[in-house]
Amino acid sequence: MTKEEANGATEEEQQAQSKKALKKQQKEAEKAAKKAEKQAKLAAEQQSADEDDFAKDRYGVSAMVQSQQKPDRALVRVEDLTPQKVDQLIWLRARVHTSRAKGKQCFLVLRQQQFNVQALVAVGDRASKQMVKFAANITKESIVDVEAMVRKVEQKIESCSQQDVELHIERIFVISQAEPRLPLQLEDAVRPDGDGEEEGRATVNQDTRLDNRVIDLRLPKTTTSQAIFRLQSGVCQLFRDTLTKKGFVEIQTPKIISAASEGGANVFTVSYFKSSAYLAQSPQLYKQMCICADFDKVFCVGPVFRAEDSNTHRHLTEFVGLDIEMAFNYHYHEVIDSITDTMVQIFKGLRDNFQTEIQTVSKQFPSEPFKFLEPTLRLEYTEALAMLREAGVEMGDEDDLSTPNEKLLGRLVKEKYDTDFYVLDKYPLAVRPFYTMPDPNNPKYSNSYDMFMRGEEILSGAQRVHDPQLLTERALHHQIDLEKIKSYIDSFRYGAPPHGGGGIGLERVCMLYLGLHNVRQTSMFPRDPKRLTP
Amino acid sequence: MSMYQNGDVDPAVRALEVRQDEIMRKLYELKAAVEGLAKTVTTPDADLDVTVSSSLSSQSSSCDIFKATKNLDALLGKDLGALRDIVINANPAQPPLTLLVLHNLLCQHYRVLSTVHVHSSVSSVPPQLLSCLGPKHADSYARHMFQLGFTLIWKNVPKLEMKFSVRNMCPIEGEANVARFLFKLLAPYPSDPAVATLVDSWVDTAFYQLADGSAKERAAVLRALDSALGRGPWLCGTEFSLADIACYCCLSQNGSTSATAANVQRWIKSCENLGHFGPAKLLLK
Repeated sequence: MTKEEANGATEEEQQAQSKKALKKQQKEAEKAAKKAEKQAKLAAEQQSADEDDFAKDRYGVSAMVQSQQKPDRALVRVEDLTPQKVDQLIWLRARVHTSRAKGKQCFLVLRQQQFNVQALVAVGDRASKQMVKFAANITKESIVDVEAMVRKVEQKIESCSQQDVELHIERIFVISQAEPRLPLQLEDAVRPDGDGEEEGRATVNQDTRLDNRVIDLRLPKTTTSQAIFRLQSGVCQLFRDTLTKKGFVEIQTPKIISAASEGGANVFTVSYFKSSAYLAQSPQLYKQMCICADFDKVFCVGPVFRAEDSNTHRHLTEFVGLDIEMAFNYHYHEVIDSITDTMVQIFKGLRDNFQTEIQTVSKQFPSEPFKFLEPTLRLEYTEALAMLREAGVEMGDEDDLSTPNEKLLGRLVKEKYDTDFYVLDKYPLAVRPFYTMPDPNNPKYSNSYDMFMRGEEILSGAQRVHDPQLLTERALHHQIDLEKIKSYIDSFRYGAPPHGGGGIGLERVCMLYLGLHNVRQTSMFPRDPKRLTP
Repeated sequence: MSMYQNGDVDPAVRALEVRQDEIMRKLYELKAAVEGLAKTVTTPDADLDVTVSSSLSSQSSSCDIFKATKNLDALLGKDLGALRDIVINANPAQPPLTLLVLHNLLCQHYRVLSTVHVHSSVSSVPPQLLSCLGPKHADSYARHMFQLGFTLIWKNVPKLEMKFSVRNMCPIEGEANVARFLFKLLAPYPSDPAVATLVDSWVDTAFYQLADGSAKERAAVLRALDSALGRGPWLCGTEFSLADIACYCCLSQNGSTSATAANVQRWIKSCENLGHFGPAKLLLK
């Protein structure tokens, strides 16, 4: 009984349901029909529109460049778009930085590295409605080829680097389409430091930038990264040029070495077939061997590895070292003079040839221009101590400078001498490595020196002990296992000239020259204890 | 000689000696009288000051005033075991001649480590300005061996400035003020406040009217110089002072050393005879 009732009930229900379902289906069918109709209508419109589109072959997505053609077409660079080019028809390849459609017009900002220009597609006898629509829909960061007429503008375009002209686009083809969503908002990434907080807008933090380094490096509008790495390339080139002019020889040294050169604690170990090897902490040993091999003056530009587990704003685990070693005649100040002069030449070269880049960077990261003296200011350690003590710092005669004291000293020196670059000479022997030559007049001190930029150490150098006996003595004093450094000591047994040198970190120099706050900003693909990609 | 074996001297010789002594005494008296007169003219209330007249009678020659050994600890405060470095920022468009002269004098009395730098705010500096502090000291590699550092930095500054003890002193602006500071390391200012003020006033005149003034003002200063020099060998009486250094340098800077007045001419010659102005003159060529 109950069963039947139940059955009946379900049947009824089913019937009711099926009725409902039928209605639903009908409705859906109607909907679909309407949709199809609409689509057909749209397609028809589209078709008719396409047929109407007189500018059909003036825009579109080009076939992938697979080196099929070699057209005789000169592409003009954005930076060359000056009033001299007015009323010329030119071709150009650039990225779409922004696009903004406004009725029958579409404004684009086309970007090429740190330069950008305003371009305009307007409905007229050259461009159709469809072409304007197409231009407006090109995704940001896509690469396009554009044929355009250069026109003078009445009012300067403040937002672009090319302020005096704009482009009237006649053809536009997409060469490479970017995905519509970018992993970071470019506007946020280029906002000057501090601005974001004030306006309550988002800022992109360092890690997000580094995770998307390829886009970050493009940094549109101010293109800070572009400028930073152009300047870095300039530092390298000036370093090479200056030293080559001084008669230095560039050498290449191995980075896989059998023994740690400066203490074993902070080296990377790599497996080397059946044994293990280390990644070089500095080309120290090889530079000195070249001196013993009568190369006289050598320098070396290459990667240097430090396995220090320090996550600070100025430490990387791999960086580019600019290393110098030279034989001198009588006094190691010959070496200091040579190095400081090289640095001054680099600073002058940057000041004179990289002003655009420096200004580009300072727009996003404002800092005072780098100041220096020629010849470079040289202070002695005791003088520095006196300055610090006068400022109320309590320090022992043979204590090493702590980082805060280093910075304070930098400020004191800047106050008195107004220089961001100086040399501190005659460090206490106790705080320097075993191969440092002791001072002949006072055994507490040594013939060693540090160089500072904006109060941070960039170079550490010294006269090296070139006498095997004294070297052994010093090594024993530092409780170093003589067996491990035997080959090093042996290289001085067969006549070694007095020599000295030092090594600079390229990233640090760039960071401090530009007054940036993090060394990762001046390393293209930084490596630190927590980052191994990209 | 046996005639005078008891130590007796020939009476004729003795008479001669007595006469000579008498003449010398008269000469000293005369000199003191003239000096006293000069003093009264230049400083109206000099007769009230006994110390001046007594110091005048001590007969110091103009160069001797620098000879007194100075204790830098007393002048500049406690020694902190490091070089006392005087930093001077000067614009290469206006080389500070006075300071170069004073530097030269300082070098004669102290072990001075002199260095010249070019600040990055200046793109190029003529070679004579780079060598204006003379050749490098043979010991310049060891800074701790010197008593005093003299660091001249050619820099794009509107006004010359000196920085010494940045913790306790504000930067000193103006060549005249720096000159006063450096001169005090060489010799104390005259103890008579009137003379000291006179020196200061001449230094001001030199920098404001001789160096920067119009032709009319310069002519007026030259007349004042002439009359002041009519009363004594130097501008502030019998002693060579900062007033002379400042006026001489500012005059030569304008190329007006071929002045007309006789007293000024004589004074210029005396200045040049002292030989302190060599470094400044080199720069003027």
